[in-house]
Amino acid sequence: MTAIWTIAKREVFAFFVSPIAYVVLTVWLLFFGVVFCVLAFAFSQQATAETNLLTAFFGGTTLFYLPLLVFAPLMTMRLLAEERSSGTIEALLTAPVSEVSVVLGKYLAALVFWMTLWAPTLSYVWLVARTGENAVDWGAIGATYLGLFGVGSFYMAIGLFMSSIARNQIIAALLTFLALGSLFVIGLLGFLNVSDEMRGFFEYLGLWTQMSAFAKGIVDTRYLVFDASITVLALFLSVRALESNRGMQ
Amino acid sequence: MIEVENLTKKYGDRLAVGGVSFSVKKGEVIGFLGPNGAGKSTTLRMLTGYLTPTTGSIRVGGVDAVKDPIGARRFIGYMPESVPLYKEMRVDEYLRYRARLKGVSRVDVGKRVDIALGLANIGDVRYRIIGQLSKGYRSRVGLADAVVADPPLLVLDEPTAGLDPNQIRQVRDLVRGMAGDKTVLLSTHILPEVESTCGRVLIINKGHVVGEGAPGELRIAEQGGQVLVVEARAPRSELEAMLSSVAGVKRIIDSSLAAADREPPVVRVRLGIEGPDVAEAVFAAMAQAGFPLRELRREQTSLEDVFASLTTADAAAVSASDAEPPPSTSAAGVKP
Repeated sequence: MTAIWTIAKREVFAFFVSPIAYVVLTVWLLFFGVVFCVLAFAFSQQATAETNLLTAFFGGTTLFYLPLLVFAPLMTMRLLAEERSSGTIEALLTAPVSEVSVVLGKYLAALVFWMTLWAPTLSYVWLVARTGENAVDWGAIGATYLGLFGVGSFYMAIGLFMSSIARNQIIAALLTFLALGSLFVIGLLGFLNVSDEMRGFFEYLGLWTQMSAFAKGIVDTRYLVFDASITVLALFLSVRALESNRGMQ
Repeated sequence: MIEVENLTKKYGDRLAVGGVSFSVKKGEVIGFLGPNGAGKSTTLRMLTGYLTPTTGSIRVGGVDAVKDPIGARRFIGYMPESVPLYKEMRVDEYLRYRARLKGVSRVDVGKRVDIALGLANIGDVRYRIIGQLSKGYRSRVGLADAVVADPPLLVLDEPTAGLDPNQIRQVRDLVRGMAGDKTVLLSTHILPEVESTCGRVLIINKGHVVGEGAPGELRIAEQGGQVLVVEARAPRSELEAMLSSVAGVKRIIDSSLAAADREPPVVRVRLGIEGPDVAEAVFAAMAQAGFPLRELRREQTSLEDVFASLTTADAAAVSASDAEPPPSTSAAGVKP
């Protein structure tokens, strides 16, 4: 337990002293600030009954999903790949800690990055609550952040796994982008003219349907089960990747 | 403290370490010697649990390192060859992190870090960022990391690589200072280092142990006796004939002309001798023959010669016939 916590703390520290954290955070805030502005203008011109500003912001548009595919790999790429390319993995894996502790510590740190990324959006909610004409549906807001956490948990786990098998950070980022991108595209297939069963399958895998449901306040546990399964699988594979490291090298 | 039996490591078809066995007692300082690529690092990496052996067993402090790797790793403070460190951290932060990772309790961390900084003599860079330190400082940070959790066994992979002569002496003093209290296993290809710090040497080449013993023992074993150097002005063949008839001289190892242009020439002969008073006998014989003696001294075989012969010619013999020890190294303590 101590080991997990110690590793997670160091990882968060390392992330926040690296320039990449500030590049990611700055670009992220700029981008989502602009998206929020544009949406706010659109809604102030023409209010609709079907949706509201926050629901549209969290998962109503492509502008929400595409940046995630880019930013998630940037956050997870260095987790284990950097240890491997700089050789520090030797010091880490010869300390009396298990591979499971290493993976969980790194994963915990990745979740902290993810939540740090989303924390500023709480200010948007606060803005809407203060200035909007309609009351904010706090249940839907809670569901939205739960959905974000679910998505983040499996995005970070996939990123960690890719970082555990890649030789360097760039390859880790590319592999993560490919994996997350493929999942996203599979989700989009549901919008095509396919049979109902197939559509159900694609939508289950799709991030879009998950986030738009949660943003409306619908907590669909099937999606949470999906997120959790992917997470557990990816973390398990990361542990195995570290173990096999000891046989190869 | 360490018992290694028949350890092998294969990378695909390539055999990196082929059946290494040795044991190290508590409090010993043992040197792991070998040319680059001999399998030193691979063996140490298996010992410290970074790599899993293909076959063989390792026991560290009585714990089976293959079955209970974490338990075995608790005994070990390891400094890898490349001294990998997190460059973005400060020395103090790094050592605290490492101490916690190695199970030092929160209460003791400060004290242990102070001791480690003192031992490695890096108190002056305590709050510097590791990435900005020189190579010498970095390797001492690695050393501080190895000792920070106060492990009974230190495994140091080339601890003096990249250090200047003063720092090398410091590291040697540090290692010697810990002998008795801690068991130290250090690898190197620098021979004086081994002679000055280690009680026992293990020479490894091409994945096999080719020599083992105290540095002094190994020297004598290699030459099969002592060597006497004689330099005199005399006709070469007459001198050689005369010297080989002296009692105690076993053979003439080689002879050379030191100054051929003079008449009679200056000849230098190396003699393999046995017995305590051979030098006196040589002196008497020279005086009798009327050859002016210019130099007469006993030659110290350096560990370097031992190393060179064990890791070049004989190594080929060892790998050619794994079972039989090569004849020239079959003396005390040398085994294939």
